[in-house]
Amino acid sequence: MSAAATETSATPLLAVEAVDVVLGRGWRSSQVLSDVSLTIGPGEIVGLVGETGSGKTTLARTIVGLVKPRKGRVLVNGTETSGLRRGALRRQRRRGHVQLVFQDPLRSLDPDLTVGQIVGEGLAIRGGLTAAEIEARVTAALGQVGLDATLLSRTPGQISGGQRQRVSIARALATDPGLLLCDEPVSALDASNRNYILRLLGQLRDDLGLPIVIISHDLSSLAGIADRVLVLYRGRIVEDGPVSQVFSAPRHPYTALLMASAPSVRHDRPLDVHQLRRGPADPAPPSGPNACVFAARCPFAVAECAEQPALEPVGDRWAAACRRHDAWPALARARPAAATPA
Amino acid sequence: MTGNPRNPPPDEVLGLDDLSIAVHDGAATAVRDISLSVHAGEIVGLVGESGSGKTLTCRAALGVLPKGCQITGGSISFERQDVTGLSPRGWQRLHGSGIGAVFQDPSSYLNPSLTVGSQVAEVLRVKRKLARRAARATTLELFAAVGLRNPELVFHQIPAELSGGMLQRVMIAIAISCEPRLVIADEATTALDVTIQAEIIELLKELRDQRGLAVLFVSHDLAVIRELCDRVVVFYAGQVVESGSVEEIIERPRHPYTQALLRVASVGDYQRRELEVIAGQPPRVGAEIDGCRFAPRCPAALDACRSGSIELARLGPGHQARCVRAGDPELAGVIEAEMAVR
Repeated sequence: MSAAATETSATPLLAVEAVDVVLGRGWRSSQVLSDVSLTIGPGEIVGLVGETGSGKTTLARTIVGLVKPRKGRVLVNGTETSGLRRGALRRQRRRGHVQLVFQDPLRSLDPDLTVGQIVGEGLAIRGGLTAAEIEARVTAALGQVGLDATLLSRTPGQISGGQRQRVSIARALATDPGLLLCDEPVSALDASNRNYILRLLGQLRDDLGLPIVIISHDLSSLAGIADRVLVLYRGRIVEDGPVSQVFSAPRHPYTALLMASAPSVRHDRPLDVHQLRRGPADPAPPSGPNACVFAARCPFAVAECAEQPALEPVGDRWAAACRRHDAWPALARARPAAATPA
Repeated sequence: MTGNPRNPPPDEVLGLDDLSIAVHDGAATAVRDISLSVHAGEIVGLVGESGSGKTLTCRAALGVLPKGCQITGGSISFERQDVTGLSPRGWQRLHGSGIGAVFQDPSSYLNPSLTVGSQVAEVLRVKRKLARRAARATTLELFAAVGLRNPELVFHQIPAELSGGMLQRVMIAIAISCEPRLVIADEATTALDVTIQAEIIELLKELRDQRGLAVLFVSHDLAVIRELCDRVVVFYAGQVVESGSVEEIIERPRHPYTQALLRVASVGDYQRRELEVIAGQPPRVGAEIDGCRFAPRCPAALDACRSGSIELARLGPGHQARCVRAGDPELAGVIEAEMAVR
């Protein structure tokens, strides 16, 4: 298959290999990422979903080198970036090869700078370009996100929320990156602006072949744009697979819970949220330091879940970390749909 | 109906009648002739883009309009009593007895250095004049009522030790602590994870059913409104453009703006689809527009839409829309065709 061929022949743009991240020191430290591995291929849009505290943002920060992994490696274009220090790290960053777009553009853009200064800042820091060349690149980057040059002299406070997020993306595009990491790029926007930004990201992928990671908790909009989805729960990847397959028959009960919880204007979900939440009648789940991270919330946990399962293949390019990935969907369908009164 | 004395039904808890609100010290009208009512045991959703006037309407109904904003017409009634010109003292009494409020970001409303239990108990001691011991007991009861699993433990925790969902439950406990008949919730679930959002939606429905609570729920997300509300009021640029039961609005939207909102809203079937956007930007707050305020963005606008004032038309039991083409059977087809092109 062609996908498998590209995987073996070309080095992936980004590879994260068995990364552990611990934040804090001593007794206050906590492990935020455990054994996280992933690869991003050329022109791929990958959705990264999970709840607050699941480690989505830490993973993004680890990839750009703002957080050092305790174990494992991060490779960009086959070069390890996780071990770089000082000068080497600075040079790597200035190249602007991996760019981050933040959630709240009002807080991540300097309110005193004009749009032109914000978008051109990365180029100015990298050096080697004249003012005229920078201006041309800035105008081109704004054009790529559908903004015209009349906005150049405005400050972030003078433009709308949707436009601000487009400025953030233009800032990231200006350095001609090889990978775009977007941390919750649409969660501060209303539905129409959200769709606009997601479509824009899809177009950038189509036009530039740019691989994009979109961190989001809005699964429904990811379904419209992503090729692959990674589900993170308490610092572990619990499911990784093609969007069309994961979203039509999730193999980890947490993915299913996320899908059933998301609000919808149409009531057409395959499983009801009550079929996926623990009820008072469910037997106590196995506990202990090695238990499956999701066991405490899982209505399908059994004794063998006392040990954390590894991410195992469940299909073509599709993996899930659940010992009961074959058994639970039938069990879920057999559970009552509405909450039974206590 | 203006000029006629209103005769609201006996179970009306909140009534807004032709309410207008001016901002910037009277320089612009941000809310125009809003009429809506909330009845006991009913959740009414206000939906619209940012800047549509929904938060201002909420704040007027709470008697806490920001500086520079004033009511310039119409009236507000609470339990059929006119409260439009109520003094600050009068509103304070109402906040402690009849009306509760929940906002978007729970952590900014609680003192970070005091235990959450002491903060809720303080409300009870001041507002309900309870003795220390009774206030503590009632706080624990409230914590149990809002679904906090270990009330004793939560009582002694500080806000930083609780998750966002638990904090929002504490805020709801405060809102219902004085046994109000009305709770006003402004984007109360927007900042929460989808799994937690689903739980808070269930909690609000429970409170409605068990206590006959009336809830005015403001959100920019039509999907959340669909999950929670009995009736919907759609705001656009400071006006009500459509209102009706949730089923009517979702199944038979009659205003082009509502139809467009539905087309961009989240759906729960997770199928890949073209992400649509509503073209153009809403007018600036307080802009004076001849004719329909949505006409400049409306794909179905006619000449008749661009002059005069367009009134809300009754289309069925409880269903109203402000559109000259509201009865036109071809309207939905025009919107669909136009939005698909973009």
